[in-house]
Amino acid sequence: MLPEEIITQLNAEFQCRDQQIRHLTALYSAHPPSPPSLNLYGLTATGKSSILRSYFHLARIPHAVINVRECITARHLLERIVAASLDAVEEADDGGKIDRRPYARTENLSALCVNMAKLLEGREKFVLVLDAVDKLREGGGTLIAALGRLGETIPSLALILTTTLPLAPSVLHSSSTAFLHFPPYTRSELLTILGAQPLKIFSTPPSLDQFPDYTPDLAAEDDAWLWSRFLQAVYDSLSKHTGRDLISFRTCATRLWRPFVEPVVAGQFGTRDFSRLMVNRRHLFQVEDWVLHRIINTAGPDDDMTTAAAKKKAPNVHVHALPYYTTHILIAAYLASYNPSRTDVTYFMKHTDKRKNKRRAPSAASFSVTGKRTGAKHRKISRHLLTPSPFTLDRLLAIFRALLEGTVPQVADLYTQIATLSSMRLLVRAGIGSNDVLEAGTRWRVGFGWEFARALGRSVNLEVGEYLVGGVD
Amino acid sequence: MEHQRCYIYQPPETEERANKRQRTSKFDPQSRLPERLQIYRSVWAQQEERIQNTLEGADSATQENIVNFISAASSSPDEQKFAIPTALIVAGPSIASHGHFFERLGRRVRDANSAYIVLTSGECPNLKTLLKNLIKKVTSRVEDDDEDEIDRPSTSSRHGPKLLNYDLGHVEEWQKKHRAASIVVALQDSEAFDAGLLVDTIDLFHSWLDRLPFVLLFGLATSAENFEERLAGNSLRFLEGQKFDVIQSDEIIEKLLHATVASTDVRLHIGSNLCRRMLDRQKDHVQSTQDFCDGLKYAYMSHFYASVPSLLLKEGITFSDVTADIFEAVRNLPSFRRWVEDTLDDGRAQDVRNLLEDNEYLFDQVSQHIQSGQQALLSLSHAASVLASIRQAIQMSPTVRLSSIWIRAASGELSGSPLIRETMLSIKKIPSDKLVHLLASLRELEGNYFSIDLASSQQRLDSLLKNTDTPLRTQHDVRNDSLRTTVVAQKVLLSKHKAALSEQDRAYSDIVTEFHDRLETYFASSLVDPRTLFLSEILMYDLKSPHTEVFQPKPRFAIERALASPHDYLGCDCCSGVDGNPAALSATQPATAIVYQMYLESGTLINVSDLWSAFNAIAGDGSDENEPKTMALFQRALAELKYLGLVKPSRKKTDHISKTMWKGL
Repeated sequence: MLPEEIITQLNAEFQCRDQQIRHLTALYSAHPPSPPSLNLYGLTATGKSSILRSYFHLARIPHAVINVRECITARHLLERIVAASLDAVEEADDGGKIDRRPYARTENLSALCVNMAKLLEGREKFVLVLDAVDKLREGGGTLIAALGRLGETIPSLALILTTTLPLAPSVLHSSSTAFLHFPPYTRSELLTILGAQPLKIFSTPPSLDQFPDYTPDLAAEDDAWLWSRFLQAVYDSLSKHTGRDLISFRTCATRLWRPFVEPVVAGQFGTRDFSRLMVNRRHLFQVEDWVLHRIINTAGPDDDMTTAAAKKKAPNVHVHALPYYTTHILIAAYLASYNPSRTDVTYFMKHTDKRKNKRRAPSAASFSVTGKRTGAKHRKISRHLLTPSPFTLDRLLAIFRALLEGTVPQVADLYTQIATLSSMRLLVRAGIGSNDVLEAGTRWRVGFGWEFARALGRSVNLEVGEYLVGGVD
Repeated sequence: MEHQRCYIYQPPETEERANKRQRTSKFDPQSRLPERLQIYRSVWAQQEERIQNTLEGADSATQENIVNFISAASSSPDEQKFAIPTALIVAGPSIASHGHFFERLGRRVRDANSAYIVLTSGECPNLKTLLKNLIKKVTSRVEDDDEDEIDRPSTSSRHGPKLLNYDLGHVEEWQKKHRAASIVVALQDSEAFDAGLLVDTIDLFHSWLDRLPFVLLFGLATSAENFEERLAGNSLRFLEGQKFDVIQSDEIIEKLLHATVASTDVRLHIGSNLCRRMLDRQKDHVQSTQDFCDGLKYAYMSHFYASVPSLLLKEGITFSDVTADIFEAVRNLPSFRRWVEDTLDDGRAQDVRNLLEDNEYLFDQVSQHIQSGQQALLSLSHAASVLASIRQAIQMSPTVRLSSIWIRAASGELSGSPLIRETMLSIKKIPSDKLVHLLASLRELEGNYFSIDLASSQQRLDSLLKNTDTPLRTQHDVRNDSLRTTVVAQKVLLSKHKAALSEQDRAYSDIVTEFHDRLETYFASSLVDPRTLFLSEILMYDLKSPHTEVFQPKPRFAIERALASPHDYLGCDCCSGVDGNPAALSATQPATAIVYQMYLESGTLINVSDLWSAFNAIAGDGSDENEPKTMALFQRALAELKYLGLVKPSRKKTDHISKTMWKGL
């Protein structure tokens, strides 16, 4: 295919990437030599991988694309490079078999050099794309630099490394690498791209008998009209501040679309009543639920505010109750993590009057931020926002016993529970100790926050805030 | 004696009678063990089958939902997916039963032409091992873990580059061959996985999603929100799915209890004390169905292994099966004595003589009483479930679970208790629409042990109800009462008046009263105290100490007690304390115990030099030449305390050690 045809086709497929496609065509065409290594960089969802794949596919240049995210170790990457190159070369030869036996092992970089040199000897241009090379899980400092210079020893190899941020010269150990930037899409570009494929207002088109003059053409026109305005509103109110990339924007817009057009489908507004629709559905744009990523998609298509609020409360119904003593162990652990140990005497010493230990919930006045002595603003971070501090097992057990009214027999079940909780990661061992979980010197910290601790306390009629130094707001 | 190499030890004879009398004749605790084992096996096999059925029935609905979810996720294989279908299975805090749940789930998933792999956190410390395990389980390939060639499955280089053994390409090849509808990867204990590892795994699976139809199942112990918080936002974007709640552990326990302990078809009954203890442990400490079943099994084992007369529970036992010492054992049972005394009170001295002397007569009596005792115990269990279903049918509050009703019944507290009285009173007042429900639910329980003539009541009620639309009320119903106030000599008199009953209401009242009376006699006859039955020791197992020792040991308490009062364990005269004070330290106690007791009295930081002088004052004899020996004892004692984890060297102060454990925690 001629370069001009490729450009036209790619432009049709990938909008607003005209300049980058032209760069690629200029650098990698069949005959003039290509740069030995190129760093192609750009933020996520800017079309790097898709354009590269489509371009090389259309241009019929022998190439291999390796998704580095799928490689676990450096060795894995090297093996994949050789295997993929073998496949690509065979394909370029129209199914001509290559003797694969010499390429059985690629243990290290020098083996890779030898194998690739052997493979590409006497061949024309071969492009090797390492996609997302910055996502490599291991491989030390010099691997990327060495890979980048592969093209210097093997003349027919052209290497492309794609990354999110440009590779620094210190990483590459050379200054001769070419760079190609894929800038993030601007607002107008995003709107153009998404506006090309409007979603339908009516998931099932209204029956022709009832509305004979609402033809599919008219419907498509309405869809496009409303969709483009809707996209602008979504971008300006939500996506601008939360996720400007194409994927986030698209997810957010698709999620919002059904609830947004609901009144139109119900016949409350006409298809072109955008401003009235906007006022009616303004609550959709005021909450952040739609831009948060959740595994469980609670925002169904026919959600309105009341059911959304009801669903927020619903998950608490099915919380599995922990056994009685386990709950107290967790509360004790939370208190041990967030109370300084010197205050334990004040809070947990057994008095005759138990109420003396507790403190009243703090009043609003005690939270005034002005210090009296200096007059300057004395700002203090609330303790439960800080990371939990480690405690020893005996302190946990002592607080546990102080919390309970009666005595608890010293049975092994208590230790079983601690072990269970640590495998649920509700209690976390701090630091690296020996493998013995119940060793005396081991220090622990809690793996949950204030909300969870308070809920636990309320399930056993214990107000955790009363025992917490510094109080709760 | 010194010149002899060995000698026969002759204990000094004492005139006094021994504290604990011992059996003088030879006693064989193993007698008839194979037969008892056999009975145990047959009895337990029944119970185990019931347990399995209950467990499988309990979560079948959830499993059905999950299987449907998986098949829905894999129904459109050609469609491009943006996120991995994910099921969050909230299985509750009883981690021990998660394994069984996922195993049962696996059987169902595999039926639907899907690959199913369970991974646990223990076998997946890092991504590489996780993938190796995954591939091994998917392809069911056996390979030896040779350290040198671990990264390469085959040493031969004849066929060109091979895939590394953690390359998901293996799965891809397998998938090409087998065309599984989906590859279901279940992470059994997701919380225990390293968060970074989870993120990496999700990232990797997502990038393979275009070639491999992955479905992820996360087994959760806490809650879905908790789990989501631990994952990065980027990984959440790759996941999309639903939450499934597994039935709560205490409900399963309730069902298990109903099927096993309170069942009306068991040969060995569990006593109320033991049962209460097992249930309390579930509520207070661990929630695990497995633990409950183990406790039950241990009780059965203890009964048949340790008690010789348990042989009498054998079905179809004949006189020749029973040896003389079994009869001897039966004659020593407390319930036998009680029974004999009762018989004597009745003036049947000859019967008693026969019982004591004639084995054959005793055997006849015992087999009769075993039968009748079984009958009594079974009807007791049945009465408990009748009561529970009555309360459920007429929706009485507070709801009392079957387990607590059963425990009360088995401890003999239920007869005449407020619970019964309250229930019977509300039956008296029951309106006819509720009575229909009640009769219907009771008819399901009708059987050998519950033989009230429900059918006739039902018939009469039906014929009565044909003519009316509104529910009928009994004479005891408060709605038929009215208060009348009369003022006589400036005093207000309140008097209750029954409204005149209609003809139908009166007929209905008769039905209800009759039903009520029958129920009352039924409860009175079947709610007996099982411990008063003759041979209750054989029919029922209710010893709590074997259970406590096995399932709730007290390791820390034992060590602390041994160190703080060594006399309790050593039992010798020398360590029993000075001047009758058992707490006093004396030189004859073990050195570690002496140091430990001084340790208890000290603060967080202990000066070792002070400790040594205190020790020397007690254990040493004051002479200089023996001091090295005392010092050696002291050092060994301190080393033992350090080994037990009670002290550790401190950097805060020189010559000090810090105390790390307190007594009684």
